[in-house]
Amino acid sequence: MFSLLMHEIKSRCTAILGWGFGLILYGAVYILIFPPELFEQFKFLKDLSVYALVGIQLGSFEGYMASIVLVYIPILLSIYCIIASTSTLAGEEDSGTLELIVAMPLSRWQILTAKAVALSVVVLSIMIIASIGNAFVLEAIKINTQINVTPFGLFTALMSSLPLELAFIMIGLFLGTILPNRRLSATALTIFFIASFFGENIAGMVKSLEPIKYFSLFNYYNTTETIFTEGAQVSDVLALAGIAAVFFILALICFSRRNITVGGWPWQQGKITD
Amino acid sequence: MSSEVIIGTRDLSVYYGEHRGIKDLNLSVQKGEVFGFLGPNGAGKTTTLRAILDIIHPTKGSAALFGLDSRKHGVAIRERISYLPGELSLYPSMKASYFLDFLGSLQKNKRDESYLEQLLERVDLDPSRKMREYSHGNKQKIGVVAAFMGKRELIILDEPTIGLDPLVQRTVLELVLEVKEEGRTVFISSHNLKEVQTVCDRVGIIQNGELIKTEKVDTLINQQLRRLEINFRKEPPHDAFAIEGVKEISREGNLVLFEVSQDLDRLMEKAAPYGIIDLETKSVSLDEIFLAFYSPQKRGGHNV
Repeated sequence: MFSLLMHEIKSRCTAILGWGFGLILYGAVYILIFPPELFEQFKFLKDLSVYALVGIQLGSFEGYMASIVLVYIPILLSIYCIIASTSTLAGEEDSGTLELIVAMPLSRWQILTAKAVALSVVVLSIMIIASIGNAFVLEAIKINTQINVTPFGLFTALMSSLPLELAFIMIGLFLGTILPNRRLSATALTIFFIASFFGENIAGMVKSLEPIKYFSLFNYYNTTETIFTEGAQVSDVLALAGIAAVFFILALICFSRRNITVGGWPWQQGKITD
Repeated sequence: MSSEVIIGTRDLSVYYGEHRGIKDLNLSVQKGEVFGFLGPNGAGKTTTLRAILDIIHPTKGSAALFGLDSRKHGVAIRERISYLPGELSLYPSMKASYFLDFLGSLQKNKRDESYLEQLLERVDLDPSRKMREYSHGNKQKIGVVAAFMGKRELIILDEPTIGLDPLVQRTVLELVLEVKEEGRTVFISSHNLKEVQTVCDRVGIIQNGELIKTEKVDTLINQQLRRLEINFRKEPPHDAFAIEGVKEISREGNLVLFEVSQDLDRLMEKAAPYGIIDLETKSVSLDEIFLAFYSPQKRGGHNV
């Protein structure tokens, strides 16, 4: 199991560096282009619905940071989570390499656990690189500009998105164990991801739609400026960790029952017909 | 060969939804035996192997390896097995040497470096390149090396020589025979009768998901189809050769072509009165033998 875990991590070293430094670049661009003289103009735009829809707050520098950096870095990383979580089981089953692994002296739970842990380590590594990098960029601009967000505050705020990413990974693994192929798993998870993101923002704008926010993973991830002062709420972290745990267990159950290489729907179990 | 049963299946059935993969398969492979599993594409060979290895769960019935139930003791069983899939897929960006190390560590092998080097040399493979740089044949060589390097008690090979050049095909068959000499067991799925004849002790013949025959290879060889062209001194009547296992294929005057699936005694007996000027045995391709065996009227598997 350890060999499989190490292989899964090693095979994603390039992704760790690429995504980690890519997300530093993304954050750095937005942190560095923030011009204090434009801030007054942003204030006029802050109540526009379109900004509310995509979760952007422009009332303060902290709001801007929370909106642009804390929302979009996890969103970009979620795209990686969708790709990686659906390719590691469903993708390998489609390509045929999973058959080799399943024929090894490993139980199904060991295979799934190794892959889930490896993906979690990879995403954690990407987040650490991206968070440290963005904290350094913030420290650099603090020399010239008076702002209230500390580099450590930005680091912890970014790291608080980890449970969100883990939840997406476990849902992706689960979908890979119940849907016929990787394409369907990735499509289903992408739809859920988009619905989750916009659903949470729309629920915040329309009172009658408020209950739908509880079905959105983003509801449990704080992207307001309070994250810099109050940190992530324990209840939100627990909720996301709980969701991740539930889907991990469901994935374990479904993977142990799955007929590898067949690629059928769960209800297409073999039936004796003659 | 020992009487210890290495692979045993009881009413093993796999259905894909309502489509039958294999049905009520009862099979027994002894220790030290090279068992060939013959059948055309889609007959259920790969499904059987996957069900035995618990890659696919049986819809009905069970499989036991080394006396252990394949579903309950999968890990313990797979520690004693190596498997070469028929549709071998490899990680494109991985080097072959890393892949072999990786599989070795998953198999929990004690690495026998000299044996591995010997295998690589025998199949003429340089493992220092990435998978995507290898031809189909070379990828198959990697699979072959991976299957043999662990020196497992049971080696399961699904169409092992597909895509290999004749020299390497021969090497693979030699490796199988060496495994047999060491008292280990090989289960080899194929539709290549020639390779089955070369290495196997017994064969199981599968058609439409059902095991229609289990036969010693010697018997199978004796049942092979032959073609015989006889130039008669005088033209025999059309009903002169109504013998079981003899079929008249064509006739041009005194020259008659027969397809024979039995000993020639009876045919010779019937042919002698018309005078035999010349007699020629025509070679029948393996494809023809195969087609003859699986033709609908021979569903019972007789008169190969």
